[in-house]
Formats: sequence, C-alpha cells, structure tokens
Amino acid sequence: MKRLLVLVLVLAMAAFIFGEKVTIIANAIKGGKNTQVVDWFEKYIPEIEKELGIDIELIQTGIRDEDFKARIVLDIKGGGGADILWIDGFWVPEFVEAGYLRPIDDILAEIPAWKYYYDSMKAMGSYKGKTYLIPASTDVRMIYYNKELFKKAGIPIPWQPRSWEDIIKTARIIKEKLPGVIPIQLNAGTEMGEATTMQGFFMVLLGAGGNLYDWETGKWIIKSSALRDTLNFYKRIYVDEKLGDAALQVSAGAREKTFELFRQEKIAMYVEGTWFYTSVLNPNNPSWGFPDRDERIGWAAMPGRGKPGDPEFVSISGGTGFAVNINCKNPKLVAEVLKRLLYIEPQLSYFEMKPFVSPRSDLADSCWTVNKDKFIAETSRALVKYTTFRPAFPVYPEISFQAQLLTERVVTGQMSVDKAIEEFAKEVTRIVGKENVIEKP
Amino acid sequence: MPALFGVDRVRKSLMGKKVVVLLLIPALALIFIFLILPGLWVLKIGMTNETLTGAKARNPDFVGFENYAKVLSDRFFYNALRVTLLFVLGSAIVGQAGLGLSLALLTYRKRKLRSFVQSVVILAWIIPEVVVAYLWIAFLDKDYGTLNMLLSVLGLRKVNWFYEYPLPTIITFNIWRGTAYSMLLFSAALETIPPSYLETADVIGVSAWRKFKDIIFPNIKSYILTDLILITLWTFNVFTPYLLTGGGPSFRTELLSIYIYRTAFRYFKLGYGASIATIALLINFALAMFYLSLSRRKKA
Repeated sequence: MKRLLVLVLVLAMAAFIFGEKVTIIANAIKGGKNTQVVDWFEKYIPEIEKELGIDIELIQTGIRDEDFKARIVLDIKGGGGADILWIDGFWVPEFVEAGYLRPIDDILAEIPAWKYYYDSMKAMGSYKGKTYLIPASTDVRMIYYNKELFKKAGIPIPWQPRSWEDIIKTARIIKEKLPGVIPIQLNAGTEMGEATTMQGFFMVLLGAGGNLYDWETGKWIIKSSALRDTLNFYKRIYVDEKLGDAALQVSAGAREKTFELFRQEKIAMYVEGTWFYTSVLNPNNPSWGFPDRDERIGWAAMPGRGKPGDPEFVSISGGTGFAVNINCKNPKLVAEVLKRLLYIEPQLSYFEMKPFVSPRSDLADSCWTVNKDKFIAETSRALVKYTTFRPAFPVYPEISFQAQLLTERVVTGQMSVDKAIEEFAKEVTRIVGKENVIEKP
Repeated sequence: MPALFGVDRVRKSLMGKKVVVLLLIPALALIFIFLILPGLWVLKIGMTNETLTGAKARNPDFVGFENYAKVLSDRFFYNALRVTLLFVLGSAIVGQAGLGLSLALLTYRKRKLRSFVQSVVILAWIIPEVVVAYLWIAFLDKDYGTLNMLLSVLGLRKVNWFYEYPLPTIITFNIWRGTAYSMLLFSAALETIPPSYLETADVIGVSAWRKFKDIIFPNIKSYILTDLILITLWTFNVFTPYLLTGGGPSFRTELLSIYIYRTAFRYFKLGYGASIATIALLINFALAMFYLSLSRRKKA
C-alpha cells in the first residue's frame, strides 16, 4: 500500500514536471487593475486546457506599467519568462532590438482570424518586416467629466469644449462653485510614466498642431511654438490658476490616487483613454467602478488649441496585444492556444466584459457585441478619424521620459517654461544626436 | 587585537599554516562568488552602454570611463548625493546615534524603565519593512492619515507631509525605524563601565555632565565609533524610503540607492546604473576608511 502511494506520488510529480504547459502573463489582477482580463481567462482557459490536454497558467500582476515592463524584461533576460506576453504595442521595437520576442509569422499562419485584422493594427505589431504582436485591442483618448458635479456647478450638459479656453473656463466655474473638487486632471510628471505622455502631454501638444517627432524629416522636435503653448497650458492649470492639483501629480502612486479621487467625485474632468471608462470605471470593477457609470460619467472630444489652422479635435491611440517570448520552448502549442483565444466567441465575450475599439473587422462588423456597446460605438465614430499613433521607435521611451520631466518641472514650478524647454532640448539632443533633432517655428 | 593573538597561539600549537588556509577556503570561495565576482561584474557593466531593452541590450559597446564622466555632470546624481548625505547626517548620525545614546543614558541604571523602553524601540526595529512602510503611509497620508485626523480634531490644518516635508519625513521615519540598534549597543556598552566609578562620583557629588564627560564618554568612545561606522554605511545604502515616497515628489527624496534603481530598472540603463553604483561603492569605501583611520589614531 505504502509503495503504491509512493509510486502514485512520483508519477504525479513526473506528470507535473513533464506535462506540457503554456504560461501567459498579463498586467491584470482579480479585483484590481484589468480585473476583467482575469475573469475572461478564467472563463476560457479550462476549455482550452481540456481540449489540448495541457496546463495553462495565467500569471497575474496588476502593477504599474513600468514595473510590469521591468519584470518581463528581467524574466526574458534571465532566460525564462512566460510564453505568451500580453504587452503594450509600443514596447515592440525596443524588445525586438534586444532580441526578446519571437517573430510570429509562422504562428499567424495557423490562426485563421489573422486575415480580419486591420492593416494599421498589423503595423503596430510589426517591426522591420516581421510580425511580433497580435493586437488585442486599441483605444482612443478623450476628456471625461462627472455629470453630477457639472450639474451642481450649473454647467449645461452635454458638454463639448471647442478650445483650450473653453476647458479653462469650465474649470474656473467648478473651482468657484465646488470647493474641494479638483476641476481637472491632466496627467503630468514622471511618476505617472507613459500615462503622462499619452494621456496628458500628447493630447495637448497635438491640439496645438505639434508633435514630438517630425514624420517628414524623421527628426525629433526639440523646440516649437506648439510645445511652448502646451507647457503654458499646463502652467495655467497647475500653477497660475490652480485648476489641477500639482502635488498629486508627483506623489507616490499618483495614478491610482487620481482614480480613487475620481471615484469619490473629487475630480470633475479627466483626460484619459478608452480603458479608463471600460475598465477602471466599469461597474464590474470593485475598486473604482461606478454602478451607474453610463448615467453619471460623460465624455467629450478633446479640442485643439483653438487658433486658426489648429486641429478641431485630437486623439492618440495605443494598444496592447499578444507577443511570444523568445525563450518559448513550444511555439506549436502556443499557436494552438492563441488560435483558440482568438476564435470569434471568446473574442466577442472579451469585448463584452471589457469593451474596447476592436482591431479586427469581423468583430467590428458583428452587430451584436462590439457595436452594442454604445460608448465604443460612439467614441470610435467620433474620434478614430482624428486619432494618431506615437512614434514608437526604440529610443522613444527615453524621449517620453524627457517629456514627462518637462511637464513635471513646469507644474511643480521648479522651472519656467523657457528654462524647462531649454533643458528638454539639451537632453533630447544628447540622446539622439545633433543630426536627429529639429527646431520648428 | 586579542582575537588575532588567539589565532596565533592556536596556529603554533595545533595546526600548520596549510590547515589554516584549507579551513579558510570555503569562506573565501563564498566571498569570492557572492561579493567579489558581482563587484567585478558591476565594474565591467559600468564601462559599457548596456541597456535592458533596445539594440544595446544585445550588443553593448565598451565605452571606458564615458559613463563616469556623464555621472559627474548629471544633475540627478548631485541631487541624489545631496539627499543621501542629508539623510545620513539627519537620520543616522544625529538621529539614530544621538537618540540611541540619549535613551541608553536616560535608562542607565534604571532596570524597569530600560526594559520597557527597549521593548518599545525594538518593536519598531523587528517589524518587516513593507509593513512598516504601510504603517507610516497610514499614519501620514494627506486625507486619511491618523496624524492629520488628529490635527483636524485639534482644529489645525491638514498637512501633506510627503509633499511639503518629504526629506524630514523620511529622516524621521528612519530614526524611528533604526534607533533600536544604537540604543542596544550603547546600553550594553554602559554595562561595561565598572559601577564603582559612578558610585564614587555620586559620593563626591559630581554633576551629571562631568560624569558623562569624564567617566561615561571615555569608556564607551570606541563603541560610539563602531556604531557610527555601521549605521552610516547601512543608512547610506538604505532603500526602504522608496516604499514611502518612491523617491518623489519630484526627486526630493531620491536617495542614491533609489536613483541607481530608477536608472537601471525603470529606465533600463544598466551600464549607466552600474557606474553610479560603483561611485556609491567608492563613497562607502572612503567613509569606512575614514572611520577606521579614526579608530586607529585613537589606539595609537
């Protein structure tokens, strides 16, 4: 009897060690950040495990994006890491240059759904002629507002600002009528990381007709009137008129703190992406969700600066997706798992749990899920035509950090706008070299 | 150095030189693998432009002392150095050693009081760091912190401690956290003073200050130096304030250790981070040398 037990134990351990296994890592944790992603995996993983006769492990994290990135990088550099990496699309170039991702063109040949992906989305996942990422979803950016607070302050809704001046005027009314409420959250500073660059800095800069990168000459823009106006807009909000909370921007865990304050209805306007509405504020999010989100939270397109020739509205898009670790031992199995995750049924379910702009036409055309979500349908229709992508070159994260630093120095009053731009120009020039920078009028 | 004499005697009587060397090999091997090798590796990385992502992750170039030149003109480095020096001065030298000595003296020859104070102080020392960090955030938070609740009950203004007084906050935190060690060391040192010295002084009616200056201080001088060496080096390399402030707001609590971490593991500049680490190592080395030379001079 004893001997039999030992034998069974040994066999079980052997099965555990030698049994085939696919691991997936995502920056999601049950009950917290991207909780819907975990729910979705839990719904579909058991089926796939049974069908393929393998183990699939989901590694949950739910941490700051920068820390998630560091974890993945260190895992891979150390020779390990999960097989399937659910990562941000703009990390692809620097990861590929470092040799961390496996080209997946052979895997894609096994995945029937690949033909439905939009070309722009395929482009986000490819680098130097090879494909590395299957986009999971994409997004747009806008300005959210709390309708209850607006009503209390006597601001008519629906609200749609036409210029930066309109935003300032509205913020002033809120400051005057609702003491204790932060009128606007426009991300600034290095603590918020990429969320500052994408949700804050770019949304303002694009509205003045500016950019960080000049696509015509292929050079990084170190000085422009658009950049100066962008920082002056930040300065007006955080320093001159105190319509936002500068201390909050640079405090530890700033981003989560702003989510919390928005949930407590202590922030009236917040410039953010699709994710904010469909994941953070989603009624199914136990941390920050609003049960009556659809009635309580409104959105408006982010207006341009308001000078002649400026864009009417702006948006910028990013997206996440599935990449495959270079250390992956069993790409065939990974292909089988991905193929099943990308079947239409699980995908429709995913977009139901966490509505997003779909990267593929078969989902977008399906009249019963993606378009059923009013928010996604409306924001896509209104904003996709204005949206653009960030210059995701391998050097981009360094430039992005300099942009975050730029806003931090201005909103905390450490430097004047001119001085901060001088520093920015100097640092960017040092990073990419004199021949790769340009000054614009 | 009595310990060395002991070894000397053993060597003469029991074993030959070879045996001693043989016995030392395991220890030396461990030191080599876990201390010297990583140290050399950091030196090597510090002379490259290696990064964690991008092309330089795969093919880093040897850049010699370029990183070091860059560090010396890096405003974040000087900021971190300044913050670290203030932190060491405030929390280790003045705070932990000063407070530890005061507590030891106050409870000297008062057994009950001493065991009570020691238990309380040691409690702060033995709680895991993450728990401690959480407790301090709960205590100092701007909106929900216990301290601000108390202040507002008293009708005072709520203070955003981490924003308005970031450096004093982490200094206070570290004094609270680490005083136990100094206090224990000084309490033990005080026990070594023969009671008759102080009893005689009591009979003559000497003032407290004279007792400290002429009896206590000369007797515990070498312990004070040991304490200063250890806590200076520990505090110089401490990382826990990161859990409270993340180095912010706006780098105002960015200790050298946090700056190295940020450079290497948040912005992925491994080579550059390693060169800053090497400089930090040299500073540690210089500090240790300084203290050792003090203790030698005292003995001579």
